Amino acid sequence: MSFIEIRQLTKQFRQAVKEPGLAGAVKHLFTQKYVDKTAVAGIDLDIEEGETVAYVGPNGAGKSTTIKMLTGILIPSAGTISVGGIDPYRNRMENARTIGAVFGQRTQLWWDIPISETFSLLKDIYEIPDAQYKRNLDQFIELLGMEDFLHLTARKLSLGQRMRADLAAALLHNPRTVYLDEPTIGLDIAVKQRIREFIRASNKEHGTTVMLTTHDLGDIEDLCNRLVIIDQGSLIYDGTLAAVKDRFARERVIHFQLQSADLPALREALDHMPKVTAEKLDRQHVSLRFDRFHITASEVASAVMRCGEVVDFRIDEPGIEHVIKQVYEGHITLDEQHADKETAAGTEASRR
Amino acid sequence: MNAWLRLPRSWRAYTGIATRSMQNTLAYRLSYVVNFASSFVLLIAMYALWSAIYAGRDELAGMSWTQMKTYLIISFISNSLLSYYSESRISGKILDGSVSADLLKPLDFQKARLAETLGSTVIEGGLTAILTFIVVLSASGILKPDFIHSLLFILSVLASLMVKFGIVYMAGLLCFWSTGSLGIVWARMAVTSLFSGALVPLSFFPDWLEKLALVLPFQGIVHTPAAIYLEEVSAWGALGLLAVQCVWACVLWLCGKLMWSWAVRQITIHGG
Repeated sequence: MSFIEIRQLTKQFRQAVKEPGLAGAVKHLFTQKYVDKTAVAGIDLDIEEGETVAYVGPNGAGKSTTIKMLTGILIPSAGTISVGGIDPYRNRMENARTIGAVFGQRTQLWWDIPISETFSLLKDIYEIPDAQYKRNLDQFIELLGMEDFLHLTARKLSLGQRMRADLAAALLHNPRTVYLDEPTIGLDIAVKQRIREFIRASNKEHGTTVMLTTHDLGDIEDLCNRLVIIDQGSLIYDGTLAAVKDRFARERVIHFQLQSADLPALREALDHMPKVTAEKLDRQHVSLRFDRFHITASEVASAVMRCGEVVDFRIDEPGIEHVIKQVYEGHITLDEQHADKETAAGTEASRR
Repeated sequence: MNAWLRLPRSWRAYTGIATRSMQNTLAYRLSYVVNFASSFVLLIAMYALWSAIYAGRDELAGMSWTQMKTYLIISFISNSLLSYYSESRISGKILDGSVSADLLKPLDFQKARLAETLGSTVIEGGLTAILTFIVVLSASGILKPDFIHSLLFILSVLASLMVKFGIVYMAGLLCFWSTGSLGIVWARMAVTSLFSGALVPLSFFPDWLEKLALVLPFQGIVHTPAAIYLEEVSAWGALGLLAVQCVWACVLWLCGKLMWSWAVRQITIHGG
């Protein structure tokens, strides 16, 4: 049995349907019509202890709803959840002792007392032993750079400070599982990196299981060894980030800066190379798009060097952003088994 | 209460909340002063109104003017103990969705809210008590009860706090079904001040209304402490009234517990 086990998890919300205009509003007073909106539609997911999972999807895909059900805030309409053997909804208090959560859009700090007081209140609430509390707090203050604002009240903090404090608050009691709902939203790159380092350290040191939703692909690349993509309430991908990249980010663009070139010869050489297209082709600049599973960068480069004098070159790799955007927009569908086969074939091709 | 006895460790969580709530209240000291001042103005208005009503009369519905003045002050104390701020904090949590942060903690929502309320009551109530004490000392013709009744009065004020918390808590939970709190809070306040005797002593009511008021829990908020303070009942009678208050406090607590477990099922926190 996995550490986190989700089976056929479903959540439906009831939404009131109001007809437009005054007449509609009056009508609604007497006859209420509702529609059920399915936010999460039968998800199955297994997560092992110590895994770091990115839970990704477009807005309204059902990410936060899933996280809320995992934390025990929302009751599933159907299906079961078990986190370390605990049903989060039925045993909310027991579950709450072993989890930490950050909802990026909303703070859990006490608004009008200093951050340090919030921490010491959490010590009381989670009954954290003195030694552990002191060790964690000292470490967190250093890792997250919090000494400057520890004495301020939450209302006076900037977004970046608040998020760091929220994160520290969520991890103070060494939770076994941490749920982070957009922990880096709206933050500058320096703070983002601090937060990522912090999460990584916690995962490494305590084997904390991390589940994180984000729109920031840097978060995924830096933190997560597993990627789960959800859209319209259903899982559409579950696998490694590398596999997604191998399958959908196979194209590279290589740019050359040339001193002189024999363009006709180069054009002819290109015709003989499989799946290579010229993005740009003049005497000074040549940009070639190629599939790295069909031809290697060195083959492309040596062909160009035979036909001209290369001063400089660089290779562009498409970001995972690009791939996930395509998935969201429905241009490519990720079928897990299909993807695995393709990737295997692709890897073989690249070996050849 | 039972859970507290079984798990004495978890006391610390709730006493921690109460202390932080005191700090929070101190952070809002200006708002408290404004609140206090405004209810003090109301006290003066009530005083003026009743002194006009009593002009040329010795007694109304069995109450002398001296008793009436004392009654006004007691009603003022019990009303200031649990401030509007404590009340709006409960409904506010539900309306703005920050109840989700509470659900993430290994805390009982009701106990945590009680701890919070009691914490701010210590600060606010303390201030109120001091200020009122000054009024009592400076004003002439305010009655002072004997020792036993004073002691029972203090106990009944504490019990009245629990009764009021029970009512306020349930009114706050109603916000799970509505999208605004003002209407609920106003309705709660109107019903409470009428049936508790805060507006008019219950003995002024028509007979049937007085009887109704006496079987409702609200009378425990103002009527009971006032009756004890004014020595309208013997010490034994006062103990009986105190017992009724405690029973109501427990009943309301259990109702609140039931209501919470039902309400939390309806929860749909925004954003998905």
